[in-house]
Amino acid sequence: MGPDFVLRGRTRRIAQAVADAMAPRWAEFEVDLSDEVLEEVERMIRAYPIAIQLAVLGSLYGIEFLSPLFGPGIKPLSACDRATVLQRMESIANHRVPQVRMLVMLLKVMVSFSAYSRPEVEGFLGYRRQAWRTARQAFRERLLAADPAELPPVPTPLADGRVVSPADYLRFFLPERAARPAAVTQGVAQGVATAATDAKEAG
Amino acid sequence: MSFVATEQKPASIITPAETRGDLVLSADVVVVGSGAGGATLATTLAEAGLRVVVLEEGAWYPTREYTANVPAMLGRVMRAGGGTAMMGRSPVPYLEGKCVGGTTVVNGGMCWRTPEKVLDEWARGLPELSSARLDAHFTEVETTIHARYQDDGSQGGVNDAFKRGADALGWKLSRNKRNQRHCVGSNDCVTGCPSGAKQSTQYSWLPRFFAAGGLLYTHCKVQKVRTEGGRATGVSGTLLDPWKARRFTVQARAVVLACGAIQTPLLLQRNQIGKACGHVGRHFTIHPNIKLSARFSTPVDNLQGTHQAWQCVEFRNEGILLAPGAIPLAFMSAIFPDFGPRLAERMRDARYIATGGILVDDHGEGRVRLLPFGVPWIQYDVTDADQAKFVRAAALLAELYFAAGAEEVYTPFHHMPVIGSPDDIKTLYRHPPRVEDTEYFTAHIMGTCRMHAHPKGGVVDADGQAWDLPGLYIADASVLPGTIGVNPQVTIMALARLIAIKLADRLKRRVAA
Repeated sequence: MGPDFVLRGRTRRIAQAVADAMAPRWAEFEVDLSDEVLEEVERMIRAYPIAIQLAVLGSLYGIEFLSPLFGPGIKPLSACDRATVLQRMESIANHRVPQVRMLVMLLKVMVSFSAYSRPEVEGFLGYRRQAWRTARQAFRERLLAADPAELPPVPTPLADGRVVSPADYLRFFLPERAARPAAVTQGVAQGVATAATDAKEAG
Repeated sequence: MSFVATEQKPASIITPAETRGDLVLSADVVVVGSGAGGATLATTLAEAGLRVVVLEEGAWYPTREYTANVPAMLGRVMRAGGGTAMMGRSPVPYLEGKCVGGTTVVNGGMCWRTPEKVLDEWARGLPELSSARLDAHFTEVETTIHARYQDDGSQGGVNDAFKRGADALGWKLSRNKRNQRHCVGSNDCVTGCPSGAKQSTQYSWLPRFFAAGGLLYTHCKVQKVRTEGGRATGVSGTLLDPWKARRFTVQARAVVLACGAIQTPLLLQRNQIGKACGHVGRHFTIHPNIKLSARFSTPVDNLQGTHQAWQCVEFRNEGILLAPGAIPLAFMSAIFPDFGPRLAERMRDARYIATGGILVDDHGEGRVRLLPFGVPWIQYDVTDADQAKFVRAAALLAELYFAAGAEEVYTPFHHMPVIGSPDDIKTLYRHPPRVEDTEYFTAHIMGTCRMHAHPKGGVVDADGQAWDLPGLYIADASVLPGTIGVNPQVTIMALARLIAIKLADRLKRRVAA
């Protein structure tokens, strides 16, 4: 408990099963994020006060032993395969009582925050946030340098057309478009590679 | 005045590493909290020539330490690592900043004066709160925090899509003023501005406070309000030194609590202050909001552009505010009810998804209280009347997004997470979602130690002084006499300034006498 919190034994196994089921997976994205997500979730729990840490542990034990009531099978959650874990958690997440849904939603938020903050996920979805931030910081420095010493009255915007044209304001750095493939091929065998090449050439 | 993010820690900010042993300090005024209320009040007092010490529970972070890693930043700058929620018919998560600058570091930066209608109502019992008397304070606040319109072109696709929809329907938009200087649209407001553009109190009031000789101590968790002869005479608590627990004590002629609408009433209750009036922790309003998002056929790029450039005020008289709200991917992923593969597929379209929100003037009242063993319990129930407004507002926002060209709209309602076409909007009215089936959120918490002209009606008087304990003042969102229907930071700052000017006069008169 407290700032030295670590998931151990059964709680680690439950959290591992949850992270493994909830972490994003795409056919074209080959990175398995489960371990990194679990590590990040653990760090989030560490920052919580003891009362919330207890609530998280309660949620983990709750879904471990109560989830068989909501889904297929009778095994504890940590002993189930990914599909079963997901099925049970979806049943809980759709329960009519909001307090029951909370069992899953708190874990869902932690996993989502952890997974979708990762640069490789952002990159896959078409965002290069770190580069964007760096470019924006540099751009702001230029704007500050170009600012007149006399500030116009509040609430006038500062940068008018003389400093930067509105059309160019956000074009200073544009990330590549997100991958939205029309077709997905799996494997690199000759037939698959040929099909992929044909599809690409067909646009 | 400093507009640029200072990368070196100001010498007037003192961390536990710079001191040894227990701290014993004295000042004219000790202020607990460095957010919107605390920093404004402390600056005003220090500039009036008083010796002021500010105690902040969180740490100081330079701009370069506001990273894009959401879990890490939540652990650093948010109370309880961002894991805070109020209990009720549907639990409502909320965010409270815990760092130098308080919640002003992590808010969206919207700057709205208190609506005239609200001030007129307040002024009936508290003439000091009339718009005529507050006008100068509002102006000073707006100048100090640099409340400005966004630079043209910085708005980004999410805001543009919202505007397109509102324009198509002929609905009235109001351009947001935000406390920023050249916000360049990196859109990380909620985890701390990475470019130093947001003029949180860290970069607006506090540099003035330090220039006037004020001192700020970080990692100070105040536990006790000290009293002597029926007056507040200081505070004491624990220094959150990472190596060992140390104590601090501050003796002062006046004590000001500015810890926010949840921590201030909890501190009062821990010290058994305000029990007689029976209002501490009550009249809790949260200006609840729900999130809607919409998928477009062309990218809107949440990442690029400002958090919120305008608000739709067409339905203001009904207590409904519609607004865009661009957010980073991590937060976007959390607003969808899905998880796992289904969420992954939804997020594949992240660049095409515009996020927005609905704020409703709430008429319910919650409560902040201490349970046995000092456990805080925050209770708030969205009322059925407010829920009816949410349903109407969700229908309106969906209409706006479809008018802007959206292909699908995603709602926070469990039984109807997706609206596939404009015709489907009617379903919301036919089968209105219950409070229990709706996901809410709030960042506007207020009213738990309300200001009132009579000791039986509130916790503090028109000067911000506690009715039950002379010498104890409150200057944060908890003193607001009621819900205000707009983002509250400018209101909090204006009231803090009003309280500070009166307090400075009173302390100076006492010295002269």
